[in-house]
Amino acid sequence: MIKLFFLAIFWIGIVLPVAGNESIRIVGSSTLLPLVSEAAKLYRQSHPDLEILLSGGGSGVGIAAVLQGSADLGMTSRQPTAEEQAQLETKAKLLPIAYDGVAVAVSEAVINHGVKALSLPQIAAIYRGQIRNWKQLGGPDARILVIDKEAGRGTRHVFANAVLGNPHARAPGAVIVTGSNNEEQAIIARSDQAIGMLSHAWLTDRVRGLAILVNGVAITPAAENIRNGRYPIRRKLNLIVPIDHSPVVGDFIAFLLSGPGQALVEQVGYIPIR
Amino acid sequence: MRVWLGVSLLIFGILALAVPGFLLWASAPFWRFAGVAALWQSEWFPHEQRFGLLPAILGSFLAAATALMIAVPGGIAAALVSTEMLPRPLRRFVRTVLEVFAAIPSVVYGLLGIWLLLPALAGWFGLLTGHSLLAAGLILSLMVLPTITALSEAALGAIPNEQRETALALGLDWPQLLCRVLLPQAWPGIRSSILLALGRTLGETMAVMLVVGSLDRLPQPWWNLLQPAQTLTSRIGREIGEAAWGSLHFSALMGCATLLGVGGAMIAVFIRTRRNLP
Repeated sequence: MIKLFFLAIFWIGIVLPVAGNESIRIVGSSTLLPLVSEAAKLYRQSHPDLEILLSGGGSGVGIAAVLQGSADLGMTSRQPTAEEQAQLETKAKLLPIAYDGVAVAVSEAVINHGVKALSLPQIAAIYRGQIRNWKQLGGPDARILVIDKEAGRGTRHVFANAVLGNPHARAPGAVIVTGSNNEEQAIIARSDQAIGMLSHAWLTDRVRGLAILVNGVAITPAAENIRNGRYPIRRKLNLIVPIDHSPVVGDFIAFLLSGPGQALVEQVGYIPIR
Repeated sequence: MRVWLGVSLLIFGILALAVPGFLLWASAPFWRFAGVAALWQSEWFPHEQRFGLLPAILGSFLAAATALMIAVPGGIAAALVSTEMLPRPLRRFVRTVLEVFAAIPSVVYGLLGIWLLLPALAGWFGLLTGHSLLAAGLILSLMVLPTITALSEAALGAIPNEQRETALALGLDWPQLLCRVLLPQAWPGIRSSILLALGRTLGETMAVMLVVGSLDRLPQPWWNLLQPAQTLTSRIGREIGEAAWGSLHFSALMGCATLLGVGGAMIAVFIRTRRNLP
């Protein structure tokens, strides 16, 4: 009798999640997370029976999750590496849904002190450890708190590619390594002397984006400049769509690319692709 | 009943073999690739196939040592005060508080560390952010203090009162009672508490990851607790999601986990085999 009881519980545990409502599991880049999360909220108003489960972890996690089949949809803010591409080839496709500029984010105090624009070689020198004090750049006399990101993060790939010439370049000048945009934003906001890399949607009053000097012209990470490609640290934000996805997933993707979906893109702070 | 016991014993036995077995199996490609030399190399760049483990090993060791140096004397002292000096109702109150502290999830300790400890450390020592091995050690000491105190308290509480009375009747003063009677009697229990605490300090991931800075570089000089650093667990926590299953990087992270397991077990055996107070 007791055995039967436990067996019954066991089977209910296994069967219930399958028999419940339809669901979409979305995993990956914390850069795309706020956008997809807003979209999911809006989408569920018209599809109340649909369960949308979101989690971050970074672009690499998203790609791996789609490969392992533990996610129905991945989010990546960088291009897959050659190795990942080879595995993805037969299983999934990349679908760009928005543009994003990676801002060179600094603490408010640095901007207020007069450092408003830097060239890419200057930023590279900071990350290589050749420039260590803001004074050398016309800023306050304070050591530069150089923030690097975990090696697998999409933001890091795009930033390192544009600034250091290689997505996997070493950054010997880095003082600390962070993970999510959230974590990094908090550290920059609390410091008076920090520099880091953040998706431009994460900029705030306390965490400001530097303009980049291109041929002597300062170009701010404003939406217009990112869209027309003048701002040099730019990327596409992609969904990783498994080739054999369910119709429910297809509908959600169509929603993201539709008028209301792309309006959300703008609202969250990214740049619509359509 | 017999069946249940048999089944749970079997499950436990399989787990006890499977976990170390899996770690060894998963880390084997890494050990074949890098060899034991990885233990004293200091460059960790998975993308360039460099897997030096020394900074993280040193980081784990220093963080655990800092935590235990604070928590062991503090915990034993707290247990002594609680069992030998406090009246019974207060004692029960202390025990409840300890149990509450022991039940707080580690991420909460980590966040408290970010909000309270890091700014304080940055201010006191003139650091950039406060992320450091010292921060990790302090948070860990707070996390293991309840374990050490609660178990030591139980060990001290189990000593019959006749022994205390006899000792006092023989004319022993308080320090003599403490060092000749109480601590030697309670030592096996206290030792267990230290071992449990050691295991937690070595294995704790979340709280450490949030405050240690995750910078894979040797501190300068090597005993400097005030610089951002990396521990074996924080590295695994940061990178395991990014490492493709079956890749060398993944295998190297499993190597880190194996080291933690082997290191913890070795220290445990070492302390277990010492009979008496050191």
